[in-house]
Amino acid sequence: MSVFLASESDPVAHIVDKGVFELTLWDNPVMLSMITVLVCAVGLFFVLHKAAKAIETGPASMGNRRYLPNGSFSAVVEVVVAYLRNEMLVPVMGERLTKRYLSFLLSMFFFILTLNVMGLIPFVEIQDAIYGLMGKSFNLQEHQTSAIFGGAATASISVTGALALIAFIVIQAQGFRELGVKGWLEHLCGGHELVHGSIFLWLVVPIIFAVEFFGLFVKPAALAIRLFANIVAGHTLLITVTMFGAMAIKAGLGTTSVTAITIVSGIGAILITFLEVFVAGLQAFIFMFLTAVFISLMAHEDAAGHAEHEIVGGGGAGATASHASSGVAHPQH
Amino acid sequence: MLIASSDPLAFNLLPFLTTIVVFSIVALALGVFVWPKILKGLDDRNAKILHEIESAEAARVAAGLKQKEFEAKLAAALEESDRMLREARAAALRLGDEIRAKNESDLADRARRAGEEIENARRTAIAELEAHAASLAVAIAGRILEREITPADQKRMVEQSLAGMSSTRG
Repeated sequence: MSVFLASESDPVAHIVDKGVFELTLWDNPVMLSMITVLVCAVGLFFVLHKAAKAIETGPASMGNRRYLPNGSFSAVVEVVVAYLRNEMLVPVMGERLTKRYLSFLLSMFFFILTLNVMGLIPFVEIQDAIYGLMGKSFNLQEHQTSAIFGGAATASISVTGALALIAFIVIQAQGFRELGVKGWLEHLCGGHELVHGSIFLWLVVPIIFAVEFFGLFVKPAALAIRLFANIVAGHTLLITVTMFGAMAIKAGLGTTSVTAITIVSGIGAILITFLEVFVAGLQAFIFMFLTAVFISLMAHEDAAGHAEHEIVGGGGAGATASHASSGVAHPQH
Repeated sequence: MLIASSDPLAFNLLPFLTTIVVFSIVALALGVFVWPKILKGLDDRNAKILHEIESAEAARVAAGLKQKEFEAKLAAALEESDRMLREARAAALRLGDEIRAKNESDLADRARRAGEEIENARRTAIAELEAHAASLAVAIAGRILEREITPADQKRMVEQSLAGMSSTRG
């Protein structure tokens, strides 16, 4: 990979979304992330559809074997789905809301996970290498690529922002559906007790309303920025480490030094890649889990303060993990 | 026309809209064709496992009851066998005593009969011995007297000897 990366000195240039060479849509350049998102979605559907066929209960003629999943991948999918549903979502959202939003949340998790993991595979560099071997050259302009697929789509704020917008719509739809317009407004004003309480409490209602209204948009924005920032940071680190060899060559170091630096940077890149695989799963989980928490907050106000406190206080994976590990199913109204 | 930017934070509408559309479609497709199958498979398996556990639990309870019943029967059988053993032992002892008593009685009877037979044999032997001794004495006496003793004499002398012996013994 160092060979491919040696041509660039700016690691961020590798991460930034690029226009696909000469492809336009309504006079706008088709971005690499658009094709990646599309390909990942199609691939995800077919892979999960195959897994679903392996997991679903077979015909009665198979006897007890019809209950067994076929294949190791389907077993992994099954374990992940069962864990997310039983250990993460049901304790936070309760049975009723989990049943209602499970499909959406699982789709969100696997979609982000796919985008994150596919971003770790250097498809763009592989395509560049193939074009190089074929002797094919492109008259690329700035921020254009000859690759038609690849790159980390979740390293684009446009992609993560879109996912956050979908989460925002679902969260607010749940609020209106569960609480009604009046209940939703009461929720923004601090809850039923505060609005219908003493007249002195009304003094804090505008402040709470401002904070809650601001929070409506901050929560999904935080989802988008967290995912985007983690993926960008991870890829920047990975690319920077892999560029050490090329930088040593440019610095005019001797063969021995260049070899040593390349080996060390290669080992470092492998280790960071393992870390990035973990981060890919973790960030997908956090996005999905926080969406579930925000949805559940719109269903019962008594749990809202508790969950918000943990999210604001801990922030990110630690807070969500502590919330999830409490294993307490909040009562549903 | 929009152009790509070198700023990673730059917002681009096309990827934004594409992601919304693509995710909406894939979420819908997954929700219709994938998750119901997977979740049904999970639920079926859970139900099956739960059913098997409940069946195993019921079987365990039934087996426990059967075991208690069996243990009660076993205890009763052991008690019955002990009783039968005790009775058999007592009967055997009683029979042994009877046999021993009978044997002892038979033995005493045989000993008594043997004693009588020995006494009879002894008397017969003594009588024979006496008769023989008388004959010898007569023969010796005849030789001494140098005369022929007739059978009538012999008979008379024997009878006299026997009478003498009887009187001597008596």
